Amino acid sequence: MGASLTPEATAPARRRLLAVWLAAAVGFAALLAVARASESGLDDPDPAQQRPGFLDAGALPQPAPGLTDALPWSGRRAIAFFVRPDSVEDLCRSLSDDRPLEGADIAVVVSGPGECEGVTTVADPAARLARAYGLRRPRSGDAPVGYAVVDGHGQIRYRTLDPSVADHLGEVRTILRATP
Amino acid sequence: MIVADQAGPSPPLRLCLWCLAAGAVELALYLSYRGHDARFHWFTHLFVGASTALVVMTAVTLRTRRPLPYPLVWPVLGHLFAMTPDLAFSGGVAHQRWMDVFLGHVSSHFVPGRNVTWYAVFLASLALYLAAVDRSGQR
Repeated sequence: MGASLTPEATAPARRRLLAVWLAAAVGFAALLAVARASESGLDDPDPAQQRPGFLDAGALPQPAPGLTDALPWSGRRAIAFFVRPDSVEDLCRSLSDDRPLEGADIAVVVSGPGECEGVTTVADPAARLARAYGLRRPRSGDAPVGYAVVDGHGQIRYRTLDPSVADHLGEVRTILRATP
Repeated sequence: MIVADQAGPSPPLRLCLWCLAAGAVELALYLSYRGHDARFHWFTHLFVGASTALVVMTAVTLRTRRPLPYPLVWPVLGHLFAMTPDLAFSGGVAHQRWMDVFLGHVSSHFVPGRNVTWYAVFLASLALYLAAVDRSGQR
């Protein structure tokens, strides 16, 4: 049986362990604060709701409201991108780069002036369509930037805010692949 | 001054090397979550994975009455296990509910309090493990 250490001998070791715990507590608190502070006004107030990565979150699936007379088209999947005028150009450039989303009808819903050549563009200045699709209000409270994916039965299966959606078309393709 | 003996680096230096290795892995994982809004996911899976590892480490430490070697490796492994579905997502596989087998990968994001809750769980798990180490040192 080993000899017990005296209180004088254990005190420095205990202080070292306490220092490890305090360093972790302060370090991770600082990292969390920095991450929270770096969120933009376009982000979801609840980060868990942004880009969850799986279908049928929350109240979904839900019937998809009409974007135009022809969209969503029965039997075809559809993606509705909701963007602001200042981000239309980036999204359209990404969409035209390599046609990453073949197999789905695409509509770009703009909360102001803007046109996306070769893609159905819908003006939604009052963000009425965005609300109808259940997109959450971003932290700024303005029109949301994000997208919704509709399955071949006309049901919304995925929706999220995504301020950088033009850079995340690979992610959109992953969600589309999972959508029947 | 730290002096390495003939058998290799001294314990403090070895500990520091493992600190650096674990830190480098975590930094790489952090950077792999491209986009600022994905950091939220990194924190969740880090806290959940590390907390699970720390609870296991506590049990092993109490049983063997010795601290585990390379204590930073286990939390990193826990994190990697918890984030496995995110690696699959990068490969084009969307998340599904069954992926909760990876330490609640899907549902862990939705606990009340979100990452602050997991931060508290992590600190409690760490305290538990350090208390076990302290206890083992007194024997």
